[in-house]
Amino acid sequence: MRRRIVPYLLISPVQALLVGVIGLPSLYVFFLAFTKSSFGQHPVWIGLTNFSTVLASKYFWTAFVNTVIVVNAVVYGELLLGLAVAYLFATGVPLRRLMFSVVLAPYAISPVVAVIIWRYLVEPDIGFVSRVLSSLGLPALEWAVNRWHALGVITLLSIWLHLPFTFVILYSALISVPVELFEAARVDGTSGWQEFWYVTLPSIMPAVLVAMLFRYVFAFRIFTEVWLLTAGGPVRQTEVLATFLYREGFRYQNFGVASATGWLMVLASILIASFYLYQMYRRMLARDA
Amino acid sequence: MRRPLWSSALRLLLLGLVLIWSGLPILLVVLASLKPSRDVFEFPPRLLFRPTFENYTTLFEKWPAFAPCLLNSLIIAVGATLLTVVVCTLGGYAYARFRSRLLVASAFSMIFLRMLPPIIITLPLFPVVNYLRVNDTHAVLILLYATFYVSLGTWIMKAFIDQVPREVDEAAVIDGASVLQTIRRVIVPLAAQGIVAVSVFVFIFSWNEFIFAFIFASTRAKTGPLILSEMLSGIEAVDWGVLFAGATIQVLPILVFTIAVQRFVVAGLTVGSVKG
Repeated sequence: MRRRIVPYLLISPVQALLVGVIGLPSLYVFFLAFTKSSFGQHPVWIGLTNFSTVLASKYFWTAFVNTVIVVNAVVYGELLLGLAVAYLFATGVPLRRLMFSVVLAPYAISPVVAVIIWRYLVEPDIGFVSRVLSSLGLPALEWAVNRWHALGVITLLSIWLHLPFTFVILYSALISVPVELFEAARVDGTSGWQEFWYVTLPSIMPAVLVAMLFRYVFAFRIFTEVWLLTAGGPVRQTEVLATFLYREGFRYQNFGVASATGWLMVLASILIASFYLYQMYRRMLARDA
Repeated sequence: MRRPLWSSALRLLLLGLVLIWSGLPILLVVLASLKPSRDVFEFPPRLLFRPTFENYTTLFEKWPAFAPCLLNSLIIAVGATLLTVVVCTLGGYAYARFRSRLLVASAFSMIFLRMLPPIIITLPLFPVVNYLRVNDTHAVLILLYATFYVSLGTWIMKAFIDQVPREVDEAAVIDGASVLQTIRRVIVPLAAQGIVAVSVFVFIFSWNEFIFAFIFASTRAKTGPLILSEMLSGIEAVDWGVLFAGATIQVLPILVFTIAVQRFVVAGLTVGSVKG
């Protein structure tokens, strides 16, 4: 009997942290979403009003559309770039360790510092990239006033910051493709492209899916990059869901509306993650049954 | 296999572009911090020049809180790392050595909770933290940072403990060691690589995190990224040279650290994402 409770005692600290800090508060947010509440004010039940307020807000829809655009652009951009860089590394580069360190470097950078670095690049008139663009006679980046330019800069910044994650996962997958597969393909006389398309890509597909789902779930939370670059401006044109939630909750002290937004975000995250969780759950049950 | 010349040239060109993309922005900002204020944004930026530390002196004069903020970051990162390592070693051992439907379900819920966006819990935690009078303390940030890494950490520890043969801890149990003693004396030394991998992740995350610090810290527990964000978006015009100096001080130690332990970053990311 004593033996049987041992594993549960061992997992209790990790479960207590997760349930106490994430689980219960999330449920409470679910409750708050149906109430009117603010600082030092008791929540009053108002049913679905917050959800209809959120869904009727044009700022919410702007934030929603921006999030969908940025998240998809970031995830696919990062996958393509990550795959290209990983393939380059897997097929051999000079000074591999040093080169690897450079590609990994942004992993060590705080999102705050990433924004500072990118301000150095894109600061109007004086930034490095702004100067390069103007010396090439190209139109200027007007991210401070133009919604699409701002979303573009945010996307690039985000890809820059998170490329190491995608790169490492794809690179590890690429170097563990069995050599025999390539040898068999060569015997069959495949070209380089055919080899990549019919041998390499299918072998690393599981890793590609994992990288993609993780990045979807995490990119969806994007906050710091937007908050510190444009703060959602001009006139809330570049807001994303997380900054919309923050502004409603902590600036306008509208906890109900913010909570409703939070739960719409949760639903979207679950939708994205469910495919992956389902696969994993099946695999674990299959192994343990 | 010999490559044709054009192919090698193309590969070098691509590699060059990758280096420019990932490395050049960081290098340029570090160099800019060593230039006098008027040359910070010079174009084209010189790579060779006589460095000056005037931005760094101004930084410590105008922002006396900067050094204490970095110290706060260090305390919080070390605290979160210790807490995570202990919690994840215990949990990882349980998931590696025991099997039951309840354990599978709890592992599932652990990953599910990790998928929730962190910002939503700031809403209910904010009043609670205020009520308990623990806002603006190191402890709150330590707890939050650890919580967001315990699920990845537990998976990493499980993967590393899986590689330790079961016979080793069975032998310890026969010698009369309790479960905790077995973990401390047998598992910890043999799964040390996993512990390093977990520590590296939590430490880097905690040193760099912004949202929780922004919401839960104001003065006493203000962190490095938080004061940098104030220097960036204050009411006064940004003093770029000073800001770049601050960013450089915040980045360089963690960058050197990350590169030194990159082997563990790679191992941890691979294990953590493929298995959990």
